[in-house]
Amino acid sequence: MAEYAFRKINIDALEEDVLLPSDLYDPDPRGPDGVLSDAQAKSTEVRNLISRGDIPGALNAILTDPPYGEGVDEAKNLTKNALLLILNSTRASEIPAILKSLGQEQQDHLMAYIYKGMAAIGQGSDVTGSVLLNWHSQLTEVAGVGCIVRVMTDRRTL
Amino acid sequence: MSAPEVFQLSLGPLTGIAFSPDRSQVCVCPNSNEARIYTRNGDSWDLTDTLAEHDKLITAIAWGPNTNRIVTCSQDRNAYVWTQTEQGWKPALVILKINRAATSVKWSPAENKFAVGSGSRVIAICSFDEENNWWTARQIKKPLRSTVLSLDWHPNNYLVAAGTADGKVYVYSGYIKGLEAKPEANIWGDKLPTGHLLAEFRSPNGGWVHDVAFSPSGDALAFVAHDSSINIIYASGPNEPPAAHIVVKLPSLPFTSLTWTSESSIVAAGHDCQPILFSGSHEGWAISRSLDDPSSTAKPLTPTATGARAGGVGRLGNNEAFNMFKAADSKGQRGTPQPGATPTSAGLTPVGSDGLLLTVHQNTITHVEAYEWNQSGEVSKIFTAGRDGRLVVWSVTGGKGLTGRMAGLQV
Amino acid sequence: MSNTLRPYLNAVRATLTAALTLENFSSQVVERHNKPEVEVQTSPEALLKPLIVSRNESERVLIEPSVNAIRLSISIKQADEIEKILCHKFTRFMMMRAEGFVILRRKPIPGYDISFLITNFHSESMLKHKLVDFIIQFMEDVDKEISEMKLSLNARARIVAESYLSTVSAFSTREYDYNLANLTNLARVRKPRLDVISGHSKLG
Repeated sequence: MAEYAFRKINIDALEEDVLLPSDLYDPDPRGPDGVLSDAQAKSTEVRNLISRGDIPGALNAILTDPPYGEGVDEAKNLTKNALLLILNSTRASEIPAILKSLGQEQQDHLMAYIYKGMAAIGQGSDVTGSVLLNWHSQLTEVAGVGCIVRVMTDRRTL
Repeated sequence: MSAPEVFQLSLGPLTGIAFSPDRSQVCVCPNSNEARIYTRNGDSWDLTDTLAEHDKLITAIAWGPNTNRIVTCSQDRNAYVWTQTEQGWKPALVILKINRAATSVKWSPAENKFAVGSGSRVIAICSFDEENNWWTARQIKKPLRSTVLSLDWHPNNYLVAAGTADGKVYVYSGYIKGLEAKPEANIWGDKLPTGHLLAEFRSPNGGWVHDVAFSPSGDALAFVAHDSSINIIYASGPNEPPAAHIVVKLPSLPFTSLTWTSESSIVAAGHDCQPILFSGSHEGWAISRSLDDPSSTAKPLTPTATGARAGGVGRLGNNEAFNMFKAADSKGQRGTPQPGATPTSAGLTPVGSDGLLLTVHQNTITHVEAYEWNQSGEVSKIFTAGRDGRLVVWSVTGGKGLTGRMAGLQV
Repeated sequence: MSNTLRPYLNAVRATLTAALTLENFSSQVVERHNKPEVEVQTSPEALLKPLIVSRNESERVLIEPSVNAIRLSISIKQADEIEKILCHKFTRFMMMRAEGFVILRRKPIPGYDISFLITNFHSESMLKHKLVDFIIQFMEDVDKEISEMKLSLNARARIVAESYLSTVSAFSTREYDYNLANLTNLARVRKPRLDVISGHSKLG
């Protein structure tokens, strides 16, 4: 058997110009530590803004330069939790106005987080599907399906 | 604005399409290994020739407007140059030296060479070798790392732009020593040995680059990517970063093809099944209007249910006898069925127009190209072809709506 | 239709429409082949980010897009044992006849009940919006079908019990109340008479 083991080696992976998933996007210029401290600062800022009732401000802050890529799981978790907190504490009637106040980049990021939230349902997440589905339909109304396409194509996983 | 001319050339997709120089003939590939030449006969097209040499799907066709030569390339890794003789179209082999599918082909403006993009991560710049009576290729390899999806030539006949599946756009020198005069420095670069990389861009959200095109002057480069974006890049000078990289992100599905109609307007079309006219300058670009039926502009951009559904199983849905047997089968009941046991039919959908899209094209548009020019050299008509087998000729200029809408345009 | 089903199906429809933007893409790895990239997973750049649309823990849809094919997997609601069995039987029936359903995958993705594989050849030969309609229709109908089958199963069980007990009651002096919800109820309510029934049946 042993002499056939070489047949299972993926030789394409050894080629020098092989394309790796990490080659498909530019890394975050802030570095992992910078990203984490940014995420922590934003997470506290968002909690303050929510307690003052400034939902658009909170959403705006959290969706600007969110952490992406490899090796920043802690920052990603912080951001995700803060964002889901915002989504949960928004009244349904306010959603359309809030969405219109966001920039295109932020709408794309929000869509990515909505999908991320839906993937986490049933794994100890405290957001219900109906809240996220409501946000999803309102956002699709405002930003169109192009927004969903960009979530799929973007290699910078939030 | 005149109504678009619509021709149903095939029932399946048209994978390659090119018009003859005088627009009286069209060469299309109906999603097979054969290219067909149709000749215009009033309002219809008659099949006159079949170019059969490839043994897998033809991916692109280009027809040289000055030399009247057709080049086809295919997933069988080959390309052929076809010349018209008295005995019909004769193929000439092209030594591409690629080992994966050829994806796109374009004649250079002077038609002394053509470029072929391929899945083997190379671009082949092909020119005619008199000695051996065949076409040979010089390959551009670096730094391509994925399938080349699209190509375009700069109007100066030396530069070639390529869009790839890893979301990159490259501008190379396609100069071939010995074939043509040494190129002069231009706005994209001053050193131009064959295959020299002059510029490199990335699609904003990482989508595959479906199509690239140089503007008529060659100073700007536009590309459409799968992240529903259209990008316009203005060069500033050799070895300088671009003067502007304008990104327009769309709320609709991605575009697959684009063409410049003038220095300040572009028509792009794709998965949304309608051609959209963009206009702008190096200060900014925006959607001008859709070329498709204006009455359909009330349509929301988000998808909605198409066609009402019928309850039950086809026409048997509300048939009493059917329900009786169904009840006997599923519940062991005899006699008349209980009311409400079967789904109530909300009326069967008549087979009609409501199941179809409101746009002219019923499936993705894969090609947009210029069809006719006016005296000032601007494109007045374009044609589109799509997966629904339709060829449509649209008029771009002359609409009253255009100037009216342009006035209200925010850039 | 319940309140959350509509937004759920709309979200799936929007995501599916966005994902069904396919093209003919020849393999970069295998010469002269055309393979669904989402199945072979050999070129990272040809794959896109998979998305999950979910309504609750048990009902969700996974959409895995790639350049020339998408894979859509559905997790169907299964509230109790009967629904689990029915769902298993139903999806198995479909998947064993996968050629007949054209876009159906022969095996579901782990964690899901049924998977579809839609390639560019499907989206070329069929109208795209009709394909989306079909999937949404399927999702609506599969829930309905399973709950209907469950009702039928219960109804049938009752009819069987009734006809069985009506033969038994011929021996009994007392008329039975047929209007009983199910067999377990019957056993509990009629416990004292059961000895009599068994006695009679021994005689028979």
